Amino acid sequence: MITTVVGSFPKVAESGYGTTLIGAISRWQRQELSDAELEQVFQEITRAVIKEQEQAGIELLTDGQIRWEDLVTPLARKVEGYEINGLNRFFDNNVYYRRPILHRTPVRTSPIFLGEYLFARGCTSRPVKVVLPGPYTVVALSEDRYYKHERPFLRSIAKILNEEARTLAQAGALMIQFDEPALGFGRPPLREVVEAINMTTSGVKAKTALLTYFGRLSREILDALQRCHVDVIGVDMVSDPKAIAVLKRVKWTKELALGCLDARNTKLESVTELHALFDVVRKVVPVDRLSVNPNCGLEFLPFEQASQKLKRLVEAVRTYRNFATQNF
Amino acid sequence: MLLTTSVGSLPKPDYLNKARSQVRKGELDPAQLRKLEEQATREWIGTQEELGIDILVDGEQYRGDMVAFFAEHLDGFKESGLVRSYGNRYYRKPIIVDRVRRRQPVTLGWWQFAQGLTQRPVKGMLTGPYTIMDWSFNEHYPSRRATTLALACVIHEEALDLERAGAQYIQIDEPAVSTRLDEIDLAIEALGIVTKGLRAKTITHICYGNFQALAPKLTTLPVNQIDLEFANRNFELLDTFRRMRFTKEIGLGVVDVHSHRIESTEEVIANLKAALKVFKPEQVFVDPDCGLKTRTPEEAKAKLRVIAEASRVVRDELCG
Repeated sequence: MITTVVGSFPKVAESGYGTTLIGAISRWQRQELSDAELEQVFQEITRAVIKEQEQAGIELLTDGQIRWEDLVTPLARKVEGYEINGLNRFFDNNVYYRRPILHRTPVRTSPIFLGEYLFARGCTSRPVKVVLPGPYTVVALSEDRYYKHERPFLRSIAKILNEEARTLAQAGALMIQFDEPALGFGRPPLREVVEAINMTTSGVKAKTALLTYFGRLSREILDALQRCHVDVIGVDMVSDPKAIAVLKRVKWTKELALGCLDARNTKLESVTELHALFDVVRKVVPVDRLSVNPNCGLEFLPFEQASQKLKRLVEAVRTYRNFATQNF
Repeated sequence: MLLTTSVGSLPKPDYLNKARSQVRKGELDPAQLRKLEEQATREWIGTQEELGIDILVDGEQYRGDMVAFFAEHLDGFKESGLVRSYGNRYYRKPIIVDRVRRRQPVTLGWWQFAQGLTQRPVKGMLTGPYTIMDWSFNEHYPSRRATTLALACVIHEEALDLERAGAQYIQIDEPAVSTRLDEIDLAIEALGIVTKGLRAKTITHICYGNFQALAPKLTTLPVNQIDLEFANRNFELLDTFRRMRFTKEIGLGVVDVHSHRIESTEEVIANLKAALKVFKPEQVFVDPDCGLKTRTPEEAKAKLRVIAEASRVVRDELCG
């Protein structure tokens, strides 16, 4: 049972690494701060959130996505064919993202996240995974004025993500995660989604993960995901109260990333309730194929509570391991 | 007909932003801040009158965030650290830690102050129970439903106080109402609790929504007027209304509050005329898409001026 996080970490921490990023970005927007100076601040905060994860005892880290204003803008900004546009609600959260518009064939002209990954890796001796949006979520969060059909759009985004993932794997990324929150809403076109995910991970020489969170997943979706060429599938056990019942009915062949703490509410889960969840889940997926994490990125919480939740997660896993070695 | 108004918030002048930050740092006495808030409110009431706006707002110069303001004045809430809402914008998302109760009226005093400055009607401005629930963390109530209904009773008391004090218009903002499709009925039920028995004209403002899901419910919302953002959706929402029988009043957002660009009077006139092909003139109230607080005071004034001018032109044409 490896402990990990989904991706994002609070960008400001009044009782931790401070709120300098807010002022830095404002000054950069007013052109009072250079790109290089802003980059310095991003690096400083990234280093701090990596340290936070280490101190909490998390084993598989992320860079906290400190540079990411949302799940799709960092990609859309670097891909030709996209225009950054107005604000839209990010799924069912009181959080907004810029919905990019696709005007022509999207083209990736250079590595997008390589620099960030290399920097983060240099900050810690623990493994750092790369987090990218999955193809279906990129398409769902974009406005398509070019293809007007989902399948060619999905395929072109999958191709771009595949190029990026190959680059990152070549640079030594051990694990590349694709976030697919959009799968929890509406009726995703499963055949096309599976095709796009398989294109995305094709030939990528790294462990791959596909994470779902928010909304609710049907058994049909989880079954379809078992057919995808990914090593790990993540499920949010918090947002949908029926998630456990659905999970029990799936023939699980992958590793499972168990989203078990609510990263969208401050109420702190007890070790007891987390253990109860582990007990149920291990009957579906053995513990050696289980990793545990909050249900989604931690940026929905203030720093204080995000930090408490990580510590609680580690505490629950540590005590569970002790319990397991004594009793099994 | 075509009465003009604002959605609620107006930008704070620099001196007020500065004072607010000084109070946070303990460098200024809160009583001094109160004086400046009154000054800013007086200025905005004057500006709205000068521009010819018909139904005024107090501009919410004393509110930070529309949910946090209520959280600060109700029992049961605790303040949180900063969370990000988008881009480089952060807010303090309140945490419900105990039963929510109203110690004393929350908005009444400021409404009375603003109404005392003008002969024109000033709207009572409330945040709706569903939005307060959705935009808060909850550590106390067992469910989202229980939280929403508890808040509805508290906001209803506040609406009653405003009505008793003479408010002719009471607006209940529910920007979160269409966040979760399976909770729309809960949001409507809660809104019904808030407006129950009110004789004042009731309005709800909804934004950032999934209007396809909300459309069939629009006619059943328990309010007299529904205020929506038309401008930042290129007036595509008109199509939704063209296809239905809609007899309530409509608050027509005609300027985009997230854009620095000041709309021209001509384009607002054209859009108003397009809207009048769908709505009757007496159904239509003209306003910005949303609260103008994210714009500079100058941009907000310029946008309000365009609203007032365009409405005047169209009104004059209608009256021959």
